Amino acid sequence: MIQANNIHKTYNDGKVQVHALRGIDVEIKEGEFTAIVGPSGSGKTTLLNIIGGLDAPTLGEVHIGDTNIAQLSENELIDFRLNHIGFVFQSYNLIPVLTAKENVEFLMLLQKRDEAERNERTTKLLKAVGLEDQINKKPNEMSGGQQQRVAVARALASKPDFVLADEPTANLDSKSTANLLDIMLRLNDEENITFVFSTHDQRVIDRAKRVITVEDGKILSDETK
Amino acid sequence: MIFKIAFKNIWRNKLRSWTVIMAISLGIFGGLAVISTATGLSDMRQNNAIRTYVSHIQVHDSTYLKYSGLNDVITQEKAILSFVKKHPNTEGVSTRLRIESFIQTAGGTSGVILNGINPEDEKQVTNIAEKLQQGNFLETYKRKPPILISKKLATKLNAKIKTTIQCSFTDANGLPATGVFKVVDIFSTSNSMYDEVNAFVRLEDLQAISSIYGSHEIAITIKDEEQVESFREELIAHFPEQHIASWRGIAPELGYADKMMDLVMSIFLVIIMLALAFGIVNTMLMAVLERKKELGMLISVGMNKRKVFWMIVWESIFLSLIAGPLGIIASYLAIQFFGTYGIDLSFAADGLRSVGLESVIFPTLNTNYYILISILVVSTSILSCIYPALKALKLNPAETLRTA
Repeated sequence: MIQANNIHKTYNDGKVQVHALRGIDVEIKEGEFTAIVGPSGSGKTTLLNIIGGLDAPTLGEVHIGDTNIAQLSENELIDFRLNHIGFVFQSYNLIPVLTAKENVEFLMLLQKRDEAERNERTTKLLKAVGLEDQINKKPNEMSGGQQQRVAVARALASKPDFVLADEPTANLDSKSTANLLDIMLRLNDEENITFVFSTHDQRVIDRAKRVITVEDGKILSDETK
Repeated sequence: MIFKIAFKNIWRNKLRSWTVIMAISLGIFGGLAVISTATGLSDMRQNNAIRTYVSHIQVHDSTYLKYSGLNDVITQEKAILSFVKKHPNTEGVSTRLRIESFIQTAGGTSGVILNGINPEDEKQVTNIAEKLQQGNFLETYKRKPPILISKKLATKLNAKIKTTIQCSFTDANGLPATGVFKVVDIFSTSNSMYDEVNAFVRLEDLQAISSIYGSHEIAITIKDEEQVESFREELIAHFPEQHIASWRGIAPELGYADKMMDLVMSIFLVIIMLALAFGIVNTMLMAVLERKKELGMLISVGMNKRKVFWMIVWESIFLSLIAGPLGIIASYLAIQFFGTYGIDLSFAADGLRSVGLESVIFPTLNTNYYILISILVVSTSILSCIYPALKALKLNPAETLRTA
């Protein structure tokens, strides 16, 4: 379970202070398929970064399971992310010199998992995202949709507690968006994987099971369908 | 996987990587080429000096070097010659009677040192016999005793082969003595200063004219040049009352040249390594700044900073591991080629001869230098990528993902 209490985030942009988040309280349970929505600059990416331990709140606490991530050292936090959180980024961010298989396998290597397990899980995940025939292709040989599906497979490779996806469909066409959502929803339904994503894409919002609307750094609404 | 990513990363921008690799290789090549040429020059100067006039070891009467007295001949000459000739490390030994003389022909005059020598012995010690126009090393003559003069002296005296030369000097009794010689051959060494002030006659001729029956100098060459000092120490132990010096003591400027060459080489190595360091810092810094977003992603998904650091270090090590051998192999091949066939600088022959050098230079480089360069290249590349790697560690993942 993710629990964020009274999260504030203020950036000092020169002489101007920008209040990105102004007291956010949110709780996300295991198996949820949650969209954090809002216009550009509303604070949804900042909230996602703070939940994922990529950024520290100015005030407030984030608990993931029993861990207060604010109490972790920088190295502990990196290890925590490796073992508990999967990330999917807007612009895919695959390692360009590695193949699809190697990109998926990469996090398992960091976790020092043995070769047999790595191979088995990589094959399974690439099959789950429909890319079993693309395993030896490098990112520049794949379409944006295919790259994002590799990114989802990579996010799941480390067996995380949940996956954070920052505007995962922003660079995809309708067909690729629908395809990616099908895969994420299937993984959510069949394997109870928790997905939390920020988006302002109506196609994604329509299919989310819970929608948290953020505006001006505050939660405007929180609806479960 | 870190190695694999690091190796693949350097080929992302092939043009830039190859530019850096070629720059490093050319730096190493240029540095080693200069060092080997300088070493070749230094060795040539040293060998020429040893083989032309210094030899490895010289023995004098202890008072001769202070006062240059004509009668200060070596008192233990026979014992010394006997000891040296029996020594297994002896290559050659020659006795010399050296008298300062005023020399004249119908065409000119000059001051020279007349060296009375045994031609057969001298051949074992110096290479004057190889530097003759006709190959007559005082061996063939008719009535008048023979003399060898240099080409430079011949020009000064307007002399040639068969010219009669009159030499005036002081004999053993302090009285004026005159010898009349006939030029039987003309030599030309690589040291024009030496050539100008030295002439050679037969030892027995000079002894007869000067009434000095002995020698002022015993010149020794030995087989193993590394053993010069121990040979000298043996001689000193047996003949403590003689003045016995090695080439380093006789011509200290040659030793100084050696030391200066070491210093010059060190400076060159520092310059090469600095060029290498700047090349790697520049390349790796660009690589880090270009990949900020990717590095931020790696840290975000759980790659710890130690691994990020080593990934960048390995990238620069790979660059130097490709560039280093290329530069070293190219240098080795060039040094082997020119070390065999030489670099012909005959357009500057006169200038080179004035400092004791020949016009064909043979570059040479001690194997230790190749090993040293290899170690320095790798260690410099590791050191020089630390700054870019530390720069990567300071990246804030959220910041890089947001802004890049």
